[in-house]
Amino acid sequence: MAHKYSLHAVYFCTGCGIIEIPPVITARWDAERFGVIPVPTPRQGNLFMITGYVSVKTLEAIIRSYEQMPDPKYTVGFGSCPINGGMYWDSYNTIKHLDKYIPVDGWIAGCMPRPEAVFIGVTHLWTLIDKGKADGYLRYKKNYASYRKNQEALFGELGWPPLYELPNWKKEETISKR
Amino acid sequence: MNETLKKELQSTFNGVEIVDIHETRTAIIVPSVSVPVVLRKLKESGLNRLSLLSCVDWIGDGKFEIVYILTSYMQNDDEYTPNDEWHVFLKTKIPRDHASLKSAIDIFENAEPYEREIHELFGVHFDGHPRLTPLFLTQKYEVPPFRKDFDTRQYVKDTYDAIPMVED
Repeated sequence: MAHKYSLHAVYFCTGCGIIEIPPVITARWDAERFGVIPVPTPRQGNLFMITGYVSVKTLEAIIRSYEQMPDPKYTVGFGSCPINGGMYWDSYNTIKHLDKYIPVDGWIAGCMPRPEAVFIGVTHLWTLIDKGKADGYLRYKKNYASYRKNQEALFGELGWPPLYELPNWKKEETISKR
Repeated sequence: MNETLKKELQSTFNGVEIVDIHETRTAIIVPSVSVPVVLRKLKESGLNRLSLLSCVDWIGDGKFEIVYILTSYMQNDDEYTPNDEWHVFLKTKIPRDHASLKSAIDIFENAEPYEREIHELFGVHFDGHPRLTPLFLTQKYEVPPFRKDFDTRQYVKDTYDAIPMVED
């Protein structure tokens, strides 16, 4: 797919990992060599990097941003914390597994990953896109009821309507809750 | 620390203990009832900035220790020497059960968010605080999460680990 060479990364700062992003996108490491440029709003982006620990409060913003991005869109978990909690594994307010709430196409492990690791991640994402394996946005659509259920398990009631149509049983449950 | 102020504090207020930690750092331990008067006295003596209000949970003793960190702003930059920089830690212990203390907002206005934070994370009530509403937390916790008897691992197990992975 042609758009793999023009990934527009949503400039969204979640944790300490965002400190690695300014050197990655500017002159020193120059992510534009790989076709990655930052965009100011999720509505213009197709690459969402979750850079670091995700608190419950941030997750709400992440879900809302992710749902606003146009398809096809790719999510990459950056750093140890979105993978399994990392050093915040027993923290009272950070979620441990990001992929329980939104689909993730790839992970860049490390605390912190260096800019080189970001580029390895990007080139690997190209391969996944070519093979059709970076299908997070399709999985989100397919399993939306399960994702929505997990999101509601954490937040109680979500303040926005479902992105996709829910199965009938799910719809009744949501309506009866309100 | 200023010797005259030290003597004055000890002679005026009951139960004041003064420990010099370093040339420019002093800990003052006072009973909780005399916190407002001592704070006001220190503010008048040149420690005109509350830089932090903090709390320690001594669960073994059944006490909370509230720590006011005070520093002095230089009146005149030209005459500044490093020794003029002066830190005072005003410490007081209150019982853990129904923990309550008088608010310091009327002395240092910037105590407002610190007191809200301590109320939210430790469950200490500040009398006279205008709005003790949550500052950071959005979730509900049975025990305030910074108390030592808050079981973080059990909480994680019950809350985050209980949510299943999404099946494909």
